[in-house]
Amino acid sequence: MTRDLARRVSRRSFLGNVGALLFTTGVPLLPVARGAAPTAARPDAAADPGDPQTCEYWRHCAIDGFLCACCGGSIQSCPPGTEASAITWVGTCHNPADGHDYIVSYNDCCGKSQCGRCLCNRNEGDKPLYMPFKSNDYNWCAGSKVGIAYHCSTARVVGVAK
Amino acid sequence: MTGRSEMIRPRRAWAGAALAVAACVCGPRGWAQLPAEPAGAVEQLTQPTPHWVWVNDMAFFAFPDGKAFLVDGDSGKMLGMLSTGYSFTSVLIPKTGAVIYAPEIYFSRGTRGTRTDVVTIYDATRLEPVGEIEIPPKRASLMPMPGAQALTDDDRFLLIYNFTPSQSVTVVDTHSRKFVGEIETAGCALVYPTGPRSFFSICGDGALLETTLTDAGTLARRERTAELIDVLKDPLSEKGVRRGDTWLFASFEGVLHPLRATGAGVEAQPTWPLFTPQELAQHWRTGGLQHLAVHGASGRLFAVVHQGGPGTHKDPGEQVWVYDLASHRRVQTITTRNKLGSIQVSQDSQPLLFGCSIDSNRLDIYDATSGKYLRTVESLGLTPTVLVLP
Amino acid sequence: MKRGALCAAVFAMTCSAIALQSRAAQPAVLTPPVEANYMLNCMGCHLADGSGAAGKVPSVRDSMLILSRSTAGRRYLVQVPGAALSPLSDLELAQVLSWMVRNLSARAVPSDFTDFTAAEVAGYRRSPLVNVRATRAQLLTARP
Repeated sequence: MTRDLARRVSRRSFLGNVGALLFTTGVPLLPVARGAAPTAARPDAAADPGDPQTCEYWRHCAIDGFLCACCGGSIQSCPPGTEASAITWVGTCHNPADGHDYIVSYNDCCGKSQCGRCLCNRNEGDKPLYMPFKSNDYNWCAGSKVGIAYHCSTARVVGVAK
Repeated sequence: MTGRSEMIRPRRAWAGAALAVAACVCGPRGWAQLPAEPAGAVEQLTQPTPHWVWVNDMAFFAFPDGKAFLVDGDSGKMLGMLSTGYSFTSVLIPKTGAVIYAPEIYFSRGTRGTRTDVVTIYDATRLEPVGEIEIPPKRASLMPMPGAQALTDDDRFLLIYNFTPSQSVTVVDTHSRKFVGEIETAGCALVYPTGPRSFFSICGDGALLETTLTDAGTLARRERTAELIDVLKDPLSEKGVRRGDTWLFASFEGVLHPLRATGAGVEAQPTWPLFTPQELAQHWRTGGLQHLAVHGASGRLFAVVHQGGPGTHKDPGEQVWVYDLASHRRVQTITTRNKLGSIQVSQDSQPLLFGCSIDSNRLDIYDATSGKYLRTVESLGLTPTVLVLP
Repeated sequence: MKRGALCAAVFAMTCSAIALQSRAAQPAVLTPPVEANYMLNCMGCHLADGSGAAGKVPSVRDSMLILSRSTAGRRYLVQVPGAALSPLSDLELAQVLSWMVRNLSARAVPSDFTDFTAAEVAGYRRSPLVNVRATRAQLLTARP
C-alpha cells in the first residue's frame, strides 16, 4: 500500500515537473525526428494500467487494426523494418488510473503485409469518413513514404486533454 | 489415360457368379466405367439470376490478396471469383452486365515498390480481364463502403474517391476506357451518384458538395450546399443506400435522413426515427459495415441492429429490422443465426436477404419476405466486406 | 513530555496531511487548450512541427507566415477545409491559427503579425474553399 502510494506520488511529480516544462514552453511534445529510437515503454504500470497486447487496454478506445505490441513493436514503437507513419488521426481516451482524458495519436506502422495478430477495433469518439481527422476507417499508411502497406497500429500519448 | 478394356477374372466361383449377376444388371459390358474426361475444361457463367451476389473480400489479414466471390443465393454455390489486388474495396457492375469493373492496386514487389492503380475490366461470363485503365495511384485505402466508388447513372463514367490524405475524385470514361481527370473535393468524402453526370460528396461540416460533369466527364460545376446534417451531435453514418432518386442514410442514433436529388440539386427530406423512445432507452442502434439495404419495388428498408452504447456504430447485430418507407413503421423483425455487419437484398419479387460479417467468412441467406433462414455459404475468403448485386 | 507528544502528533498529522494532499490533489498538467485543439484537429496531417508530407500534406512552416501578411492569404488560411469545416468555434480556430503561425514557422514571426480574431474567422469561414490547390499555388506565387 505504502509502496503503491509512493509510486503514484513519484509518477505525478515527474509529470508535474518535466511535463510542466515541456507544456508551457510551447514546444510540441512529440519527437519530430523520424526513425527515432523507442524510449523506455511505459515506465510506470500503475499510472498506465493494463496490457498493451489486449484490446481492452485503455489507449485502444478507438483503435482499428493489429496491435504493434503483439508484432515486435510496442504501444509507441514500430516493429523492425516498418515505417512509422507520421500522418494519422488523433483521438482521446480515458485513463482509469488517473481519471484524465489523454490525447492519443494512432500512428500506424507500414511497409509490410498485415501483422495479423491481436486484431482490435473499438470506436469511442470515432466519426465517419467525412471527418477524416476523427476517423479510424482510413488506412493511414497512405500518408507514409512506403505507402498503404498497413502492418500494425500504435497508440502514442501526446498530451492530456482533460 | 487409357481405360482398361478387359475385365479382371476373379478366382472364386461365387465371385464369378456375382459378377455374372452384376453383368446382367449393369448391361452387356458389365458395370459402368468412367469415360476419360477432357483436359482444360473451364466453366463459363450463364446469365445472372436476381439471386446472385458478389461478396467482396478486402483480405484484412493479407491486403495483397483482395478478392470478389460470386455466389448463387439459390443453390448456395460459389460460381467463381476475381483476384483484385491490394486493399480491395468492391466490384462495380454496369446494368448491361457484359463487363465488371474492379478498381485495383498493385505494388511491384507485392507490399512495396512502385504502386500502380488500375481499373480492371473483366468479361462478365468468363471472369477474365479484358482491359485495364491506369489511374492516379491515389485511390482511398479504407474500410469498404458503397460510397468509395460508383458508376454514374448511365454507367458511362467511373468515379473513384481518392485520399492521400488530400481528397479528390478520379473520373474514368468507360467508353474510351481512359482516365479523364481528377476533380478536387477538398474537405469532402466519397461519391454518391445522382444522375448521368452528377454526384455528391459529404463534407466535414455536414454540407454536401454537388459535382456535375460535362458530357466528356470533365468538371462542369461544383457547389456546396448548406449544412444539411449535424456532424457533432448525431453524425450521419456514411453507409447510405439508394432508392430511385433518394439516398437514405441512418445517423448513429438511428435517425433516417433521406436526401433526394432533384433537378435543382440535392434536398434534405424530413427525417424520421428508426427507433421509438423506448427502443432508444434500451440502446438499440444500427451497426456494421453495410448496415442498410433497400428493396426498391416494395419500399422496404432493412437495417442491422444491436443493443449498445455510443461508439458501437460499427458493431454487428443479430437482428434485422424491416421498415416500410411509406409509413416509416417497422413491419418485421428478423432474428439472425449469426451476427451480421453487412446486408444486401435482391431486387426481385421473391427477394433474398444476404448477410455476412467481417469477423467470419460465411454468407448467410434468408428469405427476405418471411425472414426464414435458408442456407449458409462457407469459406468465402478472409474478411467479407460489402455485398453487391450484379 | 506532553508538549513533545503534541509536537510529534502535530508533526505526524501534518506529514500525513501533506501526503494525502500530494496523492489527491497533484495538479493536473493539461496540455494548454490551444495546443490540444491543434493536436486533435490538425496535427494528424500537419504534424507536430507543421512540416506535413511532401506531395500529400503541404508544409505550413513557411507558408503560414507568408499568407498571414495579406488579406487574401489570411482568408485562405481560414477557408481551407481543414480549418473552415473543423468543429472548432470561431474563437478556437482563431487561436489555433495564431498559435500555428507563432509556433510552427521556421523563421521568426515579425512584430507586426496580428493574431486572428473570432470576427475575422467568422467572416471568412462561411465560404469554405474547394479549389484549394490552385488557390494556394496562386497566392504563394503572387507574393510580393
